[in-house]
Parts: sequence; structure tokens; C-alpha cells
Amino acid sequence: MRKLQTLAAAAVAVTLLAGCGGGSASPASSDGASSAPAGGSGETLVVYTNSNGEGRGDWLTAKAAEAGFKIEIVGAGGADATNKLIAEKNNPIADVAFGLNNMYFSQIKAAGALEPYEPAWAGDVDKELADGETYWPLVKQAILLGYNSEKISKDAGPRDWTDLWTKDEFKARYERVTGLGTATAQLVFAGILSRYRDDSGDLGISDEGWKQVEQYFRNGSPAVAKTDLFARIASGEVDMGQMPSSIIADREKSFNVNVETVIPSVGVPLAVEQIALVKGTKKKEQAQKFIDWFGSADVQGEFAQKFNSMPVNKKAQAKANPDVVDFFADLKQQDIDWEFVQENMGAWVEKIELEYMT
Amino acid sequence: MSGTSVRSMARSPFVLVVGAVLTWFIAAFLVWPNLNILLATFFPDGSFSGRAAEKLFSSQRAIKALGNSFLLAVALSVTVNLVGIFIVLVTHYFRIRGSRILFLGYASTFIYGGIVLAAGYKFIYGDKGIVTSLLVKMFPGMDPGWFSGFFAVLVVMTFATTTNHMLFVANALKGIDYQTIEAAKNLGASPWTILRRIVLPMLKPTLFAVTILSFLTGLGALSAPQVLGGRDFQTITPMILTFTNSPTSRDLAALLAVILGLATILMLAVMSRLERGGTYFSVSKVSSALQKQDITNPVANVVVHAAAYILFAIYTLPVVLIVLYSFADGAAIQTGQLSLGSLTLDNYSRVLTQQSGLRPFIVSVVYSALAALIAVGGLLFVARLLQKYRNWVATAFEYLLHIPWILPSALLALGLIVSYDHPNPLVGGAVLTGTTVILLIAFVTVKIPFTLRMLKASFASVNSSLEEAAAIMGAKTLYMFRRILLPLVLPAAAAITALNFNSLLDDYDTAIFLAHPLVQPLGLVIKANTDGAEGVEGVANTFVYTVLLMVITGVTMYLVYGRAGRRGTSPKRGRALPPVSSAAPPPAVTAVSGEDSKLPAAPAR
Repeated sequence: MRKLQTLAAAAVAVTLLAGCGGGSASPASSDGASSAPAGGSGETLVVYTNSNGEGRGDWLTAKAAEAGFKIEIVGAGGADATNKLIAEKNNPIADVAFGLNNMYFSQIKAAGALEPYEPAWAGDVDKELADGETYWPLVKQAILLGYNSEKISKDAGPRDWTDLWTKDEFKARYERVTGLGTATAQLVFAGILSRYRDDSGDLGISDEGWKQVEQYFRNGSPAVAKTDLFARIASGEVDMGQMPSSIIADREKSFNVNVETVIPSVGVPLAVEQIALVKGTKKKEQAQKFIDWFGSADVQGEFAQKFNSMPVNKKAQAKANPDVVDFFADLKQQDIDWEFVQENMGAWVEKIELEYMT
Repeated sequence: MSGTSVRSMARSPFVLVVGAVLTWFIAAFLVWPNLNILLATFFPDGSFSGRAAEKLFSSQRAIKALGNSFLLAVALSVTVNLVGIFIVLVTHYFRIRGSRILFLGYASTFIYGGIVLAAGYKFIYGDKGIVTSLLVKMFPGMDPGWFSGFFAVLVVMTFATTTNHMLFVANALKGIDYQTIEAAKNLGASPWTILRRIVLPMLKPTLFAVTILSFLTGLGALSAPQVLGGRDFQTITPMILTFTNSPTSRDLAALLAVILGLATILMLAVMSRLERGGTYFSVSKVSSALQKQDITNPVANVVVHAAAYILFAIYTLPVVLIVLYSFADGAAIQTGQLSLGSLTLDNYSRVLTQQSGLRPFIVSVVYSALAALIAVGGLLFVARLLQKYRNWVATAFEYLLHIPWILPSALLALGLIVSYDHPNPLVGGAVLTGTTVILLIAFVTVKIPFTLRMLKASFASVNSSLEEAAAIMGAKTLYMFRRILLPLVLPAAAAITALNFNSLLDDYDTAIFLAHPLVQPLGLVIKANTDGAEGVEGVANTFVYTVLLMVITGVTMYLVYGRAGRRGTSPKRGRALPPVSSAAPPPAVTAVSGEDSKLPAAPAR
């Protein structure tokens, strides 16, 4: 008993010491910690991305090591990564950021957290897809409306998003989002609201436009947390919903469903994943070399081959999955004024969350 | 309570040292960063606008969601207490057959929670769930979607959040002096009267503390309403999270968080008031350990046994299914079809053979352990002082220490970044962003309110006469703290440490903003592997990580609590009053004169 008590007392003493130490010693130890990994171990590049899932992060780290880059990937959702880059702008931790779409990057740029840089492969990409100054396009992704083609024939299927809530047969048969936190959901609304631009309307959108949003939420079946749209299509709960182009083939296989996508007459919104140099990086030269390497035709081609993506780099497209390249060749891109969208998206999300989501 | 004036408090060097450290910590890590982020949020251009309030209160959805959160908080405060007290009594107070097994079943909430728990319940009671299928076969007219909305959320969250009862209320129950119960029996009190008039009143400080926690859990409910709430019962937390992430709407998030925070503080004030003035310890000369009680009425006995085992089934079924489903593929999990033949180890090999391997697990274990130990170690002194000295200074400190309950962790993290991304005199001119320390600070900070509440409650049930006796014998403050108070609150402190540790293991909200890029904790890896948009494997990975975390947290609970529990069962008498025998000779206890003649269990109200 006595021994036990002594032991307990000793343990607590250590705890208390740690308690005091943790508080008072933190300023001292932080100096050591900050200089060691960030500056000391030299050339490790810190890369922020939202595109590290499904083994992409591991693949890239290994490939980069082969090419002589030591990188550390920090994965975060698009909104999280954006907020993190902006919050850290006075003392940046990241050297490079990639994977975020043009909407996110234009926010980061507006906050002054990006350093202009023209990569070596700038001539091989369509400059229209980015700002031509700080962030540069890597991968294209179409944001589509897809429906269960086993249940609905091509003639009977919807032709546009607006059909979902104007035609009775689709009401309650489509999945609608329950939050606007994701990039895909925001792009769907960018595509819908852009059609109703009206500078005298609320937040630059006409009343008619807001009515569409209202109807979208009123008639859709709310998404279920942790249950994929494809799972719900497979079980017959719903027949259609939003989907980014890159995931379709994979999910069709996993859930054993077939999906047909809709190309509205106005076109399809594209999400373009970008790469950029972080302002204030202490490893600028190395970071620039990494951007040059990662966006190059070879690496983008391999990436596309491995992960079924659609590279923006024209020379890389030869290596990409031909089905994917063909799909994008025929695809009509919706003409969206991204500057207008970026300026208003925050307010739109707020209005929709507060007024229209039920 | 003597010495409650500020002046007498300032005379003790011990108080002054703890006070100085505490003041610095509160100023540097609780007030300054959060003030910074709130100012930036509410005064974006240096002037205040009522925009946020105007927007929020004109939104039907926001008001309804806010109302739902409050409804859930109030309802949970009641239901969790009912279920929690019942399971504590059947495992620790009444003589129930198989109570060890029952304990293990009820303890399953120690090791898991969140979205997977909600999913686990859905596998059983959801529209395609096992129980629902059975019921529909029996009653063909039944609605398969019966388990949704407020009712379902309340049921799931009630059973999911009895952890604090199992740990702290059970612990307080063990401290009850059996002599008082025997005396009541001799006077002819029925088991029901004893329970109502003696046992429950002694548990009050702990019950007040866990009630606040239940209220808070209800207010912050996220995953259960998302999975089971359906269209009609959505809560405010998802909206807060969305708005936190959007820089232009962050004022709305902050306002909502402040509303919930104020409600919590109000609850805290009410509970503190109720707690004040009671005597929650035994004042008999020689106390003895609690013995289990028979339920004498045979009908009541059968009913209690049946209820206990039904609850056992409710608690354990989801865990079993989650473990089973973690071996199934992602599509099967989401469509709810489970066949025993399709269970493989693929999910586990995929998760465990990633490049990052075990490293994130180790990082998280080290961070969580350090943070848990620092929070409990540091607050042991603070909680004691706040419990002992009751004046405006102590009250002010106490409320300040609850700041982390007011703001969502993402805002706390952003506050730390904007406050310490440049040399700051508050921390000796150091830059904290980009270091490994900042995440530790955040982890410690977010655990302060919970730790403080539970520690204070456990100090409240310590008999102050022990301390007075030691003081009369000439014991110094620290000696007294070490030899008398500490051994008495140690079981509770250990349980708090374990819970803190468990809850930090898979933290994402804080870590995403503050983690050092080369020392990334588990939460980030889990997120990368489980996010909805990350493929079919994501959902399967969620289950695998949950099971892996169950293993880690299960081991922790065993190490910390299982052993303490065992120590408590064998030499009970020795444990009940260890300090008396070593610190002060037993006769000194008679210093508590006069009071021991009356029944001690009727606290002054």
C-alpha cells in the first residue's frame, strides 16, 4: 500500500512538473522546435493539398523522392486548406499549395498569400483556366448531373438541372445537398446562379434565380451523412444527383450501378485544380523547381494515367485515359464569370444556408 | 468554509504562485487569442455591425435549428441522468447477477462515439436495420423509417453519453459511507428511501457536473442529427461549421457559438448555485466501504434485472456490428447488406500499410497523453483552490477557464494562429506558429473546462475535516495536498486523464490548423482517408479507424481505470480512507465534533 502511494505520488509529481514545464518552458522550447524541422532539415518542402486521398499523396511523395524532392504533404479539405493558408500568411509554413480550384485560389490570392511565378510549362496549358499570374492549372474536373441509366432512359432523363424541380417525375427523385461546405456543391450553385445574373437583384442574382434555389431545396431528397449518392442510387432511394466526373467510373463499379450524365445546353461548370507558390516561402527556388516538375507533361501524364484524371497540360493528355480525354473533348464548358462568382460565393452560401435550406 | 475573503487568499504563497501561473496562462492562451479572433470577426473594418444578429434572427432555419439544439440539450440533461444513474446503480449499488458483464457492456461508450456510433445504431434500428426488419415482419403495417427525428437522436445520444456517469458518478458512489446506510436501515428506512434520501443526495456535486456536460453535449450535437435527424430535426452545429469555414460568414458562426456558450455558462451558474452550501461527504467517525444492496421486493428485482439486460443489449449491439462491418467492403456498409462470407482483412491491410504507417498513431498518442496529463496535473491545484476559496476572484477565474467551451475549436485554432504568428511578449517573444508546441497548447486549452468541472466536483466530495485535522497536526499546504487530498481525488483524476486522452486521439478540427507539417497527428490521416468525396473505401476506412481507436482507448481505459477499479474492490477499507492512517492519526478525526450525531446524508438545502 505504502509503495503504491509513493508510486502514485511520484507519478503525480512528474505530472505536475510536466504541467509547470509545459507552460513556462514553451517559449524556450519552441525556438528549438521551430528552427529544427522547418529550417534545419533543409530542403523538405511543405505542400498543402486537398488532393491527397485515395493514395494520391503517397504516390506523389514517392515520385517526388525519385526526382530528388523531399516533400511533406499536409492534406486538408479545400475550405480548410484555404483558411489555413490565409491565416498563416504572416509566417507561412507551406511552400507550395495544389489541388484547390480556381475559386479557392482566387480567395487566397486576394488575401495576399500567393507569390507570382510562371512555371516552365506555362506554355502548355490554357491560361484562361487560371489567373495567368500566381496560380496555374493542373487538372480539369467537370461537375455533372448524373442519373441511373438502368431506371431512366436517355429520352426520359433530365436535360438540365432546372428539370429536377420543374418536372414532376424528377421531384423527390434527386439528391440535394444538406450543406454548402464542399467545392462540388458550390460549383453546382455557381453554375445555376450564374444564369440568373442581375446586378439589381439580391447579391447580383434575380428573384427568378433565387426561386430556382428555393425549388431545388424544396423538392430534393436530402443527402444522408456518410452515405454516398451512389449507395442511395443502388438502393433505389434516389435516381440522380451531383457528381464530379473523376469519381463516376470508380463508384459505378463499387456499387454496381450505371450512370448517364447530363450536358445542359448552357454547358457544364468546370472545376480546375491549380498549383501555386506560397508567398514568403523560405525555400523559393526549390519550391519553384517542384512546381516545374509536378506540372510537367511527364508527371501530369503519369498522374492522369494512375488516377483517371484529365490533365490540363496538352502534352500530358496523350498519356491520360482516352475515354476521359474524349469525354472532355466533346464537353461543352459553361461560360462562368469566375470573378463575379468568387466575389459573391461567400454571401450566396450564407443566404442559401439561412433562407433556403430546410 | 473558512478563509474565503480575497485578502486571506492572498496571504498564502501557494495561492499566489498558482494564481500567477494561472493568470499568465489565461491571459496568453484563453483571453488574448480569442479576443483577437472575435474582434476580427465582429469588427472587420474597425466598426461593429449588427449584421450577424439581423441575418440570423430573420432566418427560419437558423432559429429552428437553434431551438432543436436547445431542446436536445434540455432533454438530454434529463434522459442521460435517468439512464446513467440506473446503470451506475445496477453495476455498483444493487446486487445484480452478472454485474461485471453488464459493466463491460455499458462501458462500451468509453471507447467510441461520433458518426460511427450513430451509424451503428442505424444498422440496427434504421429503415434497413436488423431490428426494424424483424419488427416489420411481425407488424407488417409498421413504418420502416420509425427510427428517425428527435426521438431517434435523443435515444442514440442518451445511450452514447453515459460515459461520465459510469466513470464519475460510480466513483462518487464508491465514496459513500456505508455506515450511514446501515444506520438508516436500522431505523427502518426502505431501500427506496435510502436511495432517495441518502445515496442520491451524496452524489449531487458529481451529478451537477455531469448534467452540465450532458447539456453541452446536446447543444453541440453534430453526427447523430446528421445521420438520424432527418428533415425535421437538424441542429445548429453543422451550420456553425459551414460558416466558420467561410471567411465572409464567420461572424455568424461566432455569434451562434457565443449564444450556445452563454447558455452553457448560464447552466453552469445555475448548477454552481445549486451545489453551493451542501455537505457532500460523510462526517462519521470511521467510515466503511459500500456494500451491494439486495432488492428485497421480488417483482422489483425481476424488473430491474430485465431492464439492466435490455440496456446491455442496446449498448453492445452497435459495437458488435461496427466491428463486423469494419471487415466488409464500403459498398456493403453503405447499402446495409452484410454477409459473413464477404468479410475480409482488406480494409485493415489497406489502412495499416499506408506510407505513413504507424507514425500518426504514435504522434497522436504522445500529443494526447501530454495534453491530458498537463491539463489534469495543472488543474488539480486550480480546482482545489477554486473549490476552497469562494469569492469574486475565484469565480472570475473559474468562468474565464470556461472560455474554450464557448467557441468552436476551429475558431480557437485560428485565434492562436493570428495571435502568435509574430514574436509576442506574452510568450517571451517567441513565434509559436509552425512549432510543435502550438498544437499542444491548443489541446491543453480545449480540455480545461471539462477537466476543471470534474476535478472540482470530486474535490467537493472530500471531507474537509480530514484537512482540518491535518492542519491542526501541523501539516503544510503542499504536504496536505499531496498526502490527503490527492489520494482521494486520484481515481477521478485518472479517469479524467483517460477521457481527455481518448477524446484528443482523433482530433481534426484543431490539428488541421495547428499541426506541424512533419508531425501530423492521426486526425488528419483519418480525414484524408475517410472524407465523403474520397471514394468508396472512405467509409470502410472510417470503420477501420474506429475499431483501431477502440483498441487504443480500450487499452487506456483498462490501464487507468480497470486497475484503479480492481484496487478499489480488494482492500476497500484501506482505500476508503488511506490518508487518515498515514497523514493524521485517527483520533484527530474527532475534531469534527457534534456533527457526527445526526444523519450526515441530508445536505443542507
